[in-house]
Formats: sequence, structure tokens, C-alpha cells
Amino acid sequence: MGITALQNGVKVLGFRAYLFRRAVSALLVLFVIISFNFAVFRLMPGDPSSLIIDPRFTPEAIALLRQQFGLDDPPFVQYVKYIKNLVTFDLGQSFTSRRPVIDELKERLPNTITLFLTSFTFTALLGIAVGVFAAARRGSFAETLVTGAGLFTYAVPTFFFQLLLLLLFGYYVPIFPIHGTISAPPPEGTWAQLLDRLHHLVLPAGSNVIIGFGSWALYTRNAMLEALSQDYIITARAKGLSERAVLYHHALRSVLPPIVTLVFLSLPGLVTGAVITETIFSWHGVGRYLVDAVLQQDYPAAQGAFYLIAIAVIVSNFLADLVYGLVDPRIRVAGENA
Amino acid sequence: MNQSITQLGTPPARRATRTRTGLLSGLVAFWAQFRRRPYGMVGLIILILYAIMALAAPWLTPYKPDEMYLADRLAAPVWARYLPRFKGAPPTLRYTIGPGQWDLTRHENASLTRATDQERGELTVVQLSPVLPGEAPATAELSFPVHYPHNPPNTFDAKITYAVEAPVDAQTTLSYSIIDPQGTEYTVWDTTVYGSSDWNTATIDSRDFQVKMKLGLSFFDDPATTVFATKGDYRLVLRVSSTAASGPVRVRLAGLQANILGLLHGLLGTDHVGSDLWTQLVYGARISLIIGILAAIAAVAIGTVIGLISGYLGGKIDEFFMRVADVFLSVPTLPILIILSAFLGKHIGNIVLLVAAFSWMTTARVVRSQTLSLKQRAFVEAARAAGAGNTYIMLTHLLPNVFPLVVANTVLMMPVAILYEAALSFLGLGDPRIPTWGRMLQNARAFGAFTELAWWWLVPPGLAITLLTLSFTLIGNAVNEVLNPRYRERT
Amino acid sequence: MAFFEVKELTMYYRTLRGQVKAVDGVSFAIEKGKALGIAGESGCGKSSMATTLLRLLPNNGQIMGGQVLMDGQSLLDMPEEQFRRRIRWKRISMIFQGAMNALNPVHRVGHQIMEAILTHEDVSPTEARRRAEDLLNMVGINPKRFDDFPHEFSGGMKQRVVIAMALACNPDLVIADEPTTALDVIVQAQVLKAIDDLRQRLGLSMIMITHDLSVIAQMCDDVAIMYAGRIVEHGSAVDVYSQPLHPYTAGLVRAFPNIAAGRSTIRSIPGSPPNLIDPPTGCRFHPRCPLADGRCRAEEPAFQVVAGRHAVACHKADVLAGGVDIWQQRQLA
Repeated sequence: MGITALQNGVKVLGFRAYLFRRAVSALLVLFVIISFNFAVFRLMPGDPSSLIIDPRFTPEAIALLRQQFGLDDPPFVQYVKYIKNLVTFDLGQSFTSRRPVIDELKERLPNTITLFLTSFTFTALLGIAVGVFAAARRGSFAETLVTGAGLFTYAVPTFFFQLLLLLLFGYYVPIFPIHGTISAPPPEGTWAQLLDRLHHLVLPAGSNVIIGFGSWALYTRNAMLEALSQDYIITARAKGLSERAVLYHHALRSVLPPIVTLVFLSLPGLVTGAVITETIFSWHGVGRYLVDAVLQQDYPAAQGAFYLIAIAVIVSNFLADLVYGLVDPRIRVAGENA
Repeated sequence: MNQSITQLGTPPARRATRTRTGLLSGLVAFWAQFRRRPYGMVGLIILILYAIMALAAPWLTPYKPDEMYLADRLAAPVWARYLPRFKGAPPTLRYTIGPGQWDLTRHENASLTRATDQERGELTVVQLSPVLPGEAPATAELSFPVHYPHNPPNTFDAKITYAVEAPVDAQTTLSYSIIDPQGTEYTVWDTTVYGSSDWNTATIDSRDFQVKMKLGLSFFDDPATTVFATKGDYRLVLRVSSTAASGPVRVRLAGLQANILGLLHGLLGTDHVGSDLWTQLVYGARISLIIGILAAIAAVAIGTVIGLISGYLGGKIDEFFMRVADVFLSVPTLPILIILSAFLGKHIGNIVLLVAAFSWMTTARVVRSQTLSLKQRAFVEAARAAGAGNTYIMLTHLLPNVFPLVVANTVLMMPVAILYEAALSFLGLGDPRIPTWGRMLQNARAFGAFTELAWWWLVPPGLAITLLTLSFTLIGNAVNEVLNPRYRERT
Repeated sequence: MAFFEVKELTMYYRTLRGQVKAVDGVSFAIEKGKALGIAGESGCGKSSMATTLLRLLPNNGQIMGGQVLMDGQSLLDMPEEQFRRRIRWKRISMIFQGAMNALNPVHRVGHQIMEAILTHEDVSPTEARRRAEDLLNMVGINPKRFDDFPHEFSGGMKQRVVIAMALACNPDLVIADEPTTALDVIVQAQVLKAIDDLRQRLGLSMIMITHDLSVIAQMCDDVAIMYAGRIVEHGSAVDVYSQPLHPYTAGLVRAFPNIAAGRSTIRSIPGSPPNLIDPPTGCRFHPRCPLADGRCRAEEPAFQVVAGRHAVACHKADVLAGGVDIWQQRQLA
């Protein structure tokens, strides 16, 4: 997987050089994506201006806007302007709402981040905890739990599980709200609002966690078992360390680099998953904005949302590289192969 | 010339390069190993069941996936009648009442005969004698018993096709009523024909405002609940009467269609337009399997080609391809699929292309790394020494060796493709003409399965997806274990 | 009473194929400050015994019986927690085979030594660090390398770190399990010298487990020969090597090429070590022994003291006492 690629890349370079190389790579990817974005939108059949200017405007208005948007400029000039706009986050105006896309995104971004961070943090924590537990006690219950959860994660499509949960806890036993990030109208008072938001967060985040923790647990458990079979664990026990110290200080600690990397490597996947989660739970976030924009053919909005998502993914990939480099001391010290 | 190169290139005493017979014995050996893995076998069995379902679709269900109004919207499955919520719910009842099925319960100066019409089949003919002015009109009352032991339905409808042959001064009235077990008569339709009339079809739907008015109900009331309030024996009554002095009146009736759309239907109920859900499920298997297989093969084919070229030729080409792969890997897959599918249009072929375009990378990497290690081997060197060209070497020597890996990857790629298609359909970006499980889920969500608590709409397609991907995963893992004992990658 | 005594120690592994009788009634004793070498082929149970003494058995290992006494205190029936705190590493420590794997790659070496100290003694981290640095110095490693990671050291140096770690809590007894097997000859000599120096200086008792007789000859006062989970001969190194009384010992001694002697063919003991799940009846060595007879096949020989501390378990000990080279016929071409 990505980890081997990282290890190969890293073994030859020192840390700083490694980081630099990864940064360049990230920028390159970003560049390719936005260029691709540009090309796709301009190469579509039909009048490309309909992608930027709402075709329902009068012809005079369209002509004016064409000039304003520089649609009559040669492609290269358009491209430069496009890049400039992206860098300054001038993402145009939504067709449906007539508001600047960047404003709409700013509104929705915190919600997405909240959902995302909560899901991700709890999935990782729960998964790792269960994995360590299962590795420490080789009893049958822990093993079945982990294997079962892992299989569950793999087999059941997230959105199906979320639909089921929504049906169950939103409709059948209506203890959770069925849509939105916050009630409309929102309750009075900061505490009440906070609680209300939490109430809305439970189903979306909870469903992600339940579906997701299995593969974490499985991976952690396998890694832990492998670590626990190493000789240095016998040394640690021989040194008279308590079982706890052996488990956490030695086994878990040496398993941490690949797990941490996994944490960051799975971020892009979670971004993708957020799109579906937001749609199902009608979460006021960037993912749902993307889907709605695409369905309504609101191209500036779709482009803007995609741009944001792409940045998020690239950044998280880069973070993964960074953190892996930090956490594995063999790379930090820029030493020879271990 | 070819033969000598092959001989040179064949590594000594290893079955690495497959000849024709080698392939067959290889398959046999593979199957022997695969059989021993219980999980793989379970997966295979499930897959075979799905394949049967896909192939035998037309025999597994009498309906077509887009046939509408087979029952009421969001009807529950037939077996739901054992659940407390649906006890006594009505199934769909359809009657086509032709000659011989009507009871002539009243007749004054009227009689019934039959006729046959080329277009409209068997006709019931009501013969009404002329009456003198001032006398009571000639009347025929045709009655058809309906035993209705269920809860009230939500709608009922009827279609009456009639033609009148009468003298100019005739005034013929037809009316259609439903008489409930208590004897209350509900007239839901009537019409008066002056003189003759050509074939006419009257469609009566209980949701129509005219019906509600006729029954004296408001716009918000439900005629069906009013009419079919009790359980028992009902009668559908068609009255034909006429006043004609100068001659007889003949009213010809084609088969009268009376339907009560049930709230129970089929194995899995109906969707929002009354289409059978079991049919959609069964036909959906075809799409999912085809998409899965095609997209996976496409993705792996691309990946293999790139992996081979990249690994074997090395250098700048390798760098280039790996960079491209890096870029593709860094792109968030679902968002880009969303955007691209919106632009390419909601066509099923696009989904296959898109999924393949963004899934080839892992295969490419894996094939490349194996190619790199194979490159060093003696038989490759020998082939080159004998003057074989690059393409030849890649096709004849490297590809067969890489093949087990490719196969394993293909099988493991299929659930990915299926899930992507399901996700895209679910978000509303799929092909609306093609019944897929993702589309079923989307419809369920958009058209009220939640509010109506119609879990039978939601669970089967989702479960179908789950089991199918599970089966592929099981098979893929088993295949991987058998073919590549050392390539068991963790995560 | 000896400082460290092992009496009839028996430990089996439970496996799917049956019980592996790895340590079957082993007894020996060590005086304070002395070194005992335990020699034998691979698979004879030496390492199993080492882990048993520290009670570090894997899940399927079970102590079936016997006693281990240190200064008269019984160690086997001590509660686990007490053993861990008071004995493990504090009074008995171990130098592991294959130091490359014995050290945790993500922790610094100095820290790993410090950890041992801090677990058993109530000292401040600064004090523990100082002591760890002293230990590194003692084994010939620059204390400035305290913060380095294991992968930055060579094989021999890593082994020395392991030695330093073993001495961290000033134990009374050190068990060295094949400490030099993975090292080349020159480094081996250095490491052995280091161990020997330390032992003399600190007055440590030592159990040296190895298959290399020359190492034992160099470092140990006494030697015990182990075969198929049992001790077949023990005594002072000088006695046992100059006058082996057990056919196996004789074979081992003979099998060692002597660089000073004239050219001769290399002799090895034919056959291979027995299956410990189902060991041979009677004397376990009888299938490979040129002197084996009916009694050997039926009856297990008991330990007999021949002279002073020299004892052997063999029915045919008198044959070898007479100085016959029984392995002469068994030469490989």
C-alpha cells in the first residue's frame, strides 16, 4: 500500500529532503487537479459560457458578463485568470442562490469539519482501543468481536448502514433528528444550542464510527500481535516490567508509526465518505453542497466545492507523509537502513 | 523461428511460462487448492446464486421492472399480513367482467346477450326494448359479487368501455355503483347518452374529484375508505336504462375492468409508482454483476498494461507513469466521480469507464513491482539475448507470470466497482432508466420509504449489495491466498 | 548450601502433537561468584531452561515440578507480582541471544537501560540516567551515545548494550543465553572478555548457555552437559573436558577441531537429537551411543558421583573412565 511506497522513498533521503519532495509532489497534484478542472469545464459540449453564466440571463446581460468573465479571451488568458481566481479563492457565484460560492462554502465548512473530526477521532480511538484489547487478551470474545467488526466494515456499504440507522432511530424509534445540523428554529441559549448540535451529530458521526472502527481494530490487533511476538518484548518482560508497561510502552509504541500513518492515509477516504453521510443526514456541509450543486447543474458551486475537497485531500495526504516521517525514528535521524 | 525463441525463453524445470496444456493443468491445480478454503467456497456459492438470479430474472418474476400500478404505491409485501401493522390489508384485486359473469339481477324490458368483437373480444350486450312515453324506462341491472374480507384500500378504479346503438330519440343512462354488505349503494359514475354513441371508455378513479363529489365527500376525504369500510360481500353494479320509443336500444359492453389496488403485493411490495420491488431487485442483479465485472476487468487491464510497461521499460517512462498514478491516487475518488458523471451524463457505460479510470493504480503498482523482480530473471535475459522484442517479452514471458496476481486483483476490484456504482446511483447520478440497487435505495429515500416505515424497500437492495460485495471479497481473498502465498498484504 | 540451586526442574510445552518434554528433571547448583556453563546441541532444552528460571514461559509452557532456590528461598512458587518486583532482573537477569532483536528499535538505548533501573529501584530519573551512562562506560561504549537508537550500533556494540542492561540492577546471577552466537569471531572474543571482566569485578554468579564448548572452557568454572532435556554429566570444566565420562560428552569434546593438533578427520556424533515429545526409553542417548546395550535401552541411568564434583548419568561410565576412545570407529569419510 502507500506505506511501502513511503518507506522506499524515505530510505534514500534525509528528513528535510524527504519533506521537501513530498511538498512538491502535493503541489504538483493540486496543480494537475485544478488544470483538469479547468479543462473539463471548458471542454464540455455546448457553450462553455453556460457553465459560468446562467443561461437564463438576457442575451445582453450574457454578453456583458462574457466580457466581464473574460470568456472571449483566448484560452491561455482564461487559464491564467482561472488560476488567479482559485488562488485568491474567488470562486464565482452560485447559479441557484446568486451568492458568492466562497461565502456558501465558508458557512458549510465548519459543519463538515465537525462531523469529520468527530467521526474520525472516535473511529480511530475506538478501533485502536479494541485492537489493543484484543491483542492483550487472546480470549475468544475479543477475537470474535474484532474479526466480526472488521468483516462488517468491509462488507456493509456505509450508506446502507446509515440508511438503516436513520430509519431505526429517526423514524421507528424517533430519538434522533432526521436531518440537518441544527434544529430550525435553533433553540435559545448557547448551552441549548450546543446540546442541539450534539443531538444532531450523534447519528451521522455514530454511524461512521460503528461502520469504520472494525478495520482499525483488526489492523491494530494484527500489528500488536506481531509486535508482541518480537524478541524485545521478551526482553521487556525479563526486565521485570509490568504487563501494562510492556503492552503500552513497548508493543504499542513500536506499532504507533504505521498506525499513525494509517490515520492520516485514511483521511482522504473519510472525506469521500463525508459526501455520502452529509447527503443521507441532510447535513449542512460541503459534501452535500457538492452533490446538490451537481444535480442542479450549478457549475460554479460544484467547481468550488470540488476545489475545496481536493485541497483537503491533498493536505491530508501531505500530513500523512509528514507525520510518518516524524514518528519513525529511523527516518528522523536520517540514518542508514535499519 | 518462434519456436526456438520460446524454447530458449522457457526457464528450466519451472512451470512459470504457461503453455496451452500448462494452463489447463494450472486451472485444475488451482481449483483443488481453492476448494479447500471454506470462506472462498462460501463466497463462490453466494456468487453463483446471484448469477442464477441475474440470468433467471424473467422466470423469477412475472413482471417487468418498470411496470407501474401493479398495486398501490408503497404496498407492503404479501407476507407482511402476518405483521400486526398489516393485518387485514388488502391485496390487489382485479376483475375483468365479461359476458357470463354478470348476474342480471333486475330487468324490465331488458335482456342480456353476448357478441364478439374483433378488437374488444367478448362483449356483453344489453338489449333494451322500446318503451312508450310515460312508462318506466327499460332497465337492466348487472351485478357482480366481490368478496372483500379486508381492511379498506386506498384507491379503487374501473374502466368501462361501452357503445350504444339506439334510435335518435333514445336516452340511455349507464351508472356504476358499489353496494356494500349493509346494502348501502355508492354510485361513483354515471353518464347519459343521447342516441347512438361509438365506443367510449370511461375511466373512473376513486381519487378523482368527480367521484368524491358524487359521493358527497370533500376534497380531502378518501372514497375508498368510505365505500369499502366494512368487510363482507360487495356487489359491483352496472345499471343500464333507456327510454326510447321508436326502437330497441342495444348497449354493448366490453369487459369491464374493476381494480382495487392492494396494500399488499408480491414478495417485496411496490415502490412509489406501484412497480414490483422484487422484480427490480432481481433485475438489478444483472446490472450490478455486469458493471462489477466490466469495470473491474477494465481497471485491471489498464493497470496491468501500465504496470508491465512501467516496470519493464523503467527509466523516464516508469517515472512518468508512477507520477501519474500518484496524481490519480491523490484525487478524492467519489467527488471526482460525482463531477465527471454529471458531465458525461447519466449513462450506465460512463460509470464503468469512470470507475475503471480511477481504480487502475493499485493493480499497476503491484504488477510493476512483480515485473521489476521478474525482469532480473534468467529467462528474460535469455529471451533478450535471442533477440526478442520488448512487446514480445512482455506478452509471452512476463504477462503469464503476472497473471495470478492480475486475476486476484480483478476479483478484489469487483466489489469496489459495485459499491461505487451503488453510491453514484444512490446520490442520483445513475442512469434512471436502468434498475439498479443503488437507484432503488435512492428512490426509497426520495419517495417516502422512511416516512411510511417501508423497511422492505430499503433493506433488500442494501442487503443484496452487501452480500454480493462480501462474496467477492471472500472469493478474492481465497484466490489471493492460493495464487500468491507471499502477496498477502495486510491492509 | 549453595547460593543457587535447581532441583529436578521439569517444564513441558503443550502442543497439538503432545507434550514437548523440554526440561525433564534438571538439577544443578552454583556457588556465589562462580560460573556454570551449560552445553548441548540445539534443541536440547537449554534456552527453555533459561526462560523457565526467569519464569518467562510462553502460554503453552508449563512447569511440571521441581524447585529453584536462591539463598534458600524458593522461586517457583513465589507469587508472580512478587517475583517480578523482587527477583526478575533485580537478582537474576539475562543476556539474550541475538541482541539485534532484543532491543526495541523505537526506544533509545540509554532509555532502555534506564527503564530497567527505574522499574526496580526508587531513584530519581537523573540518578538512573547517570547509572545507565556508567554502565555504558563499563561495557566500553561512549556514554554520549545514550540517546542513540539501536539501529545505529553494530552487532557487537548492541550485544554490549544488552550486557549493560543486564547488569543495570546489580543482579546476583546473570544468565547468558548464547551471547556470542550471532557474532563474528573477533567480536565474540571482545564480548566474552567484557563479560569475563565484569563478572570478576562485580563478583557475579553466571550461567553461560551455549553449544560452543570452547567458550565454556574459556569462561566457566563448572560445566553441565545437557542432552534431550536432561543433564547427563557435570563437574568442573577441567575435569569434564580432560576426562569426559559420558559418551555424549566424549563425542562433543572429540568433535571440536583442535587448531594445535595435527590433521585429522572431523568426527561428529551420528544421528540427530531425539524428538522431545516422545523421547527414547531408558537412557535418552542410547540410539546414538556406540556402547548401548539392553540395560541402556530399558533403564534410565541415575547420577553417580565419580570423583569430587564430577558426576555422570551413564551405565557405561567405567568404560570411558578407563580412557577408551569409543568414537574412533565412528569417523566420517
